[in-house]
Amino acid sequence: MATAVSIVARALTQALLDGLSVQGAARVKSQLRSRMIDAVDVGGSTLLGSTSSARVATLLGQGLDALDGYIGRYLPQLILTAVATPIIVAVLLVADFATGITVILTLPIIPVFMVLIGMSTRAVQRRQWSLLTALAQGFLEVVQGLSTLMVFGRQHRQAERIAAVTEQYRRRTMSVLRLSFLSGFALELAASLSVALVAVSIGIRLIDGEILLALGLFVLVLVPEAYLPLRQVGAQFHAASEGIAAADEVLSLIESAPQGHGHAAPASDPARATDDIGVADHGASATVPAASVPALTVRELTIRRGDRVVIDSLTASWMPGTLLAITGPSGAGKSSLLGAVLGLVEHDGEVELAGSPVHATDRIERMAWSGQRPDLTGGPLDEVVGLGATTVDPARVTASLLWAGAGDVPRDTVLGAAGDGLSGGQAQRVALARVHYRAIDRDCRVVLVDEPTSALDAVSEQRVIEGLRELAREGRLVIVVTHRRAVMAAADEVLAIQPIDRAARVRAEATS
Amino acid sequence: MTIAARRARRAVLRASLPPMRAFAPALALGVLASGSAVALLATSAWLIARSAEQPPILFLGFAIVGVRAFALGRAVFRYLERLVAHDAAFRALSTLRVGVFRRLLPVAPDGLRGVRRGDLLTTLVRDVDALQDLPLRVLQPLVTASVVAALSVIGVWWVSAPAGAALLVGLVVTAGVAALVMQGLSRDADMRIAPLRAALADAVLEYLTRWETLRAFGADTRHLERVLELDAELRRAQSRQSGAAGSVAALFTLGAGLTLLTALLVAEPSFAVAAITGPQLVMLVLVPLAVFEVVAALPAALSAWWRVRASADRIASIVPDEVPAELPVAPVTPTSLPVGPLALRLRGVSARWPGDDSPAIAGIDLDLAPGDRLVVEGSSGAGKTTLAHVLVRFLDHEGEYRLGGVDVHELHPDEVRRHVVLCEQSPHLFDESIRQNLLFARDDATDADLLAVLDRVGLGAWCHERGGLDAPVGERGRLVSGGEAQRIALARALLTDAPVLVLDEPTANVDPDRAESLLDELLGAAAGPERAVLVISHTPVADRLVTARVRLHAAR
Repeated sequence: MATAVSIVARALTQALLDGLSVQGAARVKSQLRSRMIDAVDVGGSTLLGSTSSARVATLLGQGLDALDGYIGRYLPQLILTAVATPIIVAVLLVADFATGITVILTLPIIPVFMVLIGMSTRAVQRRQWSLLTALAQGFLEVVQGLSTLMVFGRQHRQAERIAAVTEQYRRRTMSVLRLSFLSGFALELAASLSVALVAVSIGIRLIDGEILLALGLFVLVLVPEAYLPLRQVGAQFHAASEGIAAADEVLSLIESAPQGHGHAAPASDPARATDDIGVADHGASATVPAASVPALTVRELTIRRGDRVVIDSLTASWMPGTLLAITGPSGAGKSSLLGAVLGLVEHDGEVELAGSPVHATDRIERMAWSGQRPDLTGGPLDEVVGLGATTVDPARVTASLLWAGAGDVPRDTVLGAAGDGLSGGQAQRVALARVHYRAIDRDCRVVLVDEPTSALDAVSEQRVIEGLRELAREGRLVIVVTHRRAVMAAADEVLAIQPIDRAARVRAEATS
Repeated sequence: MTIAARRARRAVLRASLPPMRAFAPALALGVLASGSAVALLATSAWLIARSAEQPPILFLGFAIVGVRAFALGRAVFRYLERLVAHDAAFRALSTLRVGVFRRLLPVAPDGLRGVRRGDLLTTLVRDVDALQDLPLRVLQPLVTASVVAALSVIGVWWVSAPAGAALLVGLVVTAGVAALVMQGLSRDADMRIAPLRAALADAVLEYLTRWETLRAFGADTRHLERVLELDAELRRAQSRQSGAAGSVAALFTLGAGLTLLTALLVAEPSFAVAAITGPQLVMLVLVPLAVFEVVAALPAALSAWWRVRASADRIASIVPDEVPAELPVAPVTPTSLPVGPLALRLRGVSARWPGDDSPAIAGIDLDLAPGDRLVVEGSSGAGKTTLAHVLVRFLDHEGEYRLGGVDVHELHPDEVRRHVVLCEQSPHLFDESIRQNLLFARDDATDADLLAVLDRVGLGAWCHERGGLDAPVGERGRLVSGGEAQRIALARALLTDAPVLVLDEPTANVDPDRAESLLDELLGAAAGPERAVLVISHTPVADRLVTARVRLHAAR
């Protein structure tokens, strides 16, 4: 009876241990992930290109998964070992002193072996690791470059190349594994030899009648249990070290995030966000163009990128209903100017909307902006175009798509992650439809578009120009960054920005 | 699931198995290692029980040797098994990759289902590599555990039939219940974890890379909520999986204990009538403990099997068995084209993408003679890229397409591509040196040839700055800008000396204000009295650069 109870108890505690430790790992991971996203949220502005987002995303995914091994298995096992091993050893000492001593003497062999093997293999493993990842990429490269290979008639030779690269990968990996598996070998050997030692010595002492059979069997069954926890610590050790490295990197990223960056208001407070929307709606209906009030005024606007002044003390104002083109060479600060007006880029000086100064964090709610890259999100086309709207109005989406000349994009398209699935020109027109949807849906009085026609042919471009004019006719201020002559020609006003060497040279000229 | 899908899956799975003679040693070593573990416990138990009867030590010599041998054997065999099994699996991976690649060739690039999705190929490669688990994590534990369990049952049965039966029943019932528990509790979670992980990674990347757009559209909060939702869902799936794993592990512990108890109860009568000896009884009772430890590897094998099967299904669904009708096939007796300038002629050409109902281009007439520079314009979606793919025979067509007067249907597609070279919109740059990225277009080119062609496309100084032809281009051309990539692609095309050159949107990935000058320079470099050049572009092309213009209109 007691046997049966202890069997069931052991089974139950094991289930609990496994379940709880993995759950713990998952919870810690979630916490780290959201802390890290928060850190990026406050610190990162890709307009200024400050975050290497791919690395962060990898870290948030695979990097954190490596924590499973550390938190989910290694730590619980370490604690279990610290608690269970002394108890079992104590029981063994009481039951049979000689066996207890054998176990105490042989137990430290395991960590010593582990450390020795670990030290001798780590250098080799690290050296091989970068090489291995490069080789692992080999097949992916060939498959991704398949059409290029076909263009040059090289596809048929690639089969041999794949075989050769994989073979090389096998040889390299095996030379690493031969060493990695050694630690497992040492663990297994230490444990099974100890059992053999104990079994033989007990057997001989039984023959001499020194101890009783019951005690001998008891000891024999208990000895492997004394080694088991430590063996498992050893087995989890490799996964754990990977996890520790990942955790280090995550924590350092969280700590290095600048606190309170000024321009990027944390939008995590839903109450505040709703409030802002209310203000925006109200503001929109209140500022129906009084023809004498400029839609947008900038005073002494200065933008710095690092130590360099990009825009120096720009003062200007534009009336509602204007189509303003901003032009200038790459790096002159055209996009930064839009970002500053929008409140996404840090700046000095004031920005007024409809005659009253508005704080950087509140401006974004009242404008519609489309960046230089389409930056589409994934999902059904309607949701992509209606980004940010609480409910998407399909009729309005149709109107916006037509407005942007994107009527040819099938309405049932579902875009892949990060907006995959459209050609360059289609993506740009969908991005335009998206900014139009917002401008109409939220009745934004200021619309900012950055290089809207760079991927479009002349016919589509003409259509977009007409669309922008139409938005201006509705009483909005439309600001478009462009290098296209056709767009400049259609603008009411052109602002040419020159790159600044030392002094500020911003020159505004009216063309029509 | 249809019969065809099953057959396709089976073909993929079969391809991922190493040849039996390579894998048999691994299986044998696995059986030896796990067998040694069982034998170690059995002999030590027998040794101790027999010793208690205080026989002369001579009678125990055999058992003492056995205990030591099994102890050593267990560790040595396990080490060798892992090495041999991994080696065999890696060898199989090579066969598998080559096999999938060969399967890709007739349908690539345009016949792969969903090829216009960016991540397709990455997924495919990941799935192929996941198939390694079939021999290593599915078959190996399955075979090892079954053989060792069967041998143990036979051994125990031989000593005492009731105890053998108890062990057999214990093993079968425990494994069966464990499989049912896994099926019910963790199968769905197992299958969902990988897609959820991918979705979470996508959502996080989207959030990080599109933060400004999301913020500008007031969608950042909602997007973050979605990230957290996915995170929570993943966590739920993981807890579910770990809960199931925990219960199954517990189940095996429970099964081992109960089997031990049953064995003791059913074997005791035999001991009472002296049909078996005391040492034998002890052995019968302790063997189940060791056997269950070996069999406990089965649940992990079961989840690995589910994952492998899902990967095999995806591969089978992406790479079609048959070549779709929209793709060109090589003629039985292909003719060849003469070396030298060629004229190209299209009459009433239409083409369709595999799986599409309507043609992407229709009724195209086009003439291109040596020395011509033709620009193809048209709004996006008008089928410009489709036309380029027809010209290099990635897609088949209806209507007339002649090269040097020969109908291209009489030519091998490879032969067409030797004469008509495409500079793709996003040319692939391999993660190697500049030299290697050029050489594969013509492998007998000398360094002088390569430097000359780089000069011609305006990369001479650039190449010099980077330290010459051995400079790396980085993974997927990371160290190279969009314009430089286009120039390298053109350099490659020029190296082939092909008489017809097709440039597909060379300025698609180039800064808008550099597009026009790049196009100028590319066309300048490509032009030649004997070469016909067709450029597809949305960027306006100056009149002096071209000899003719064609405008495409959407066919749908």
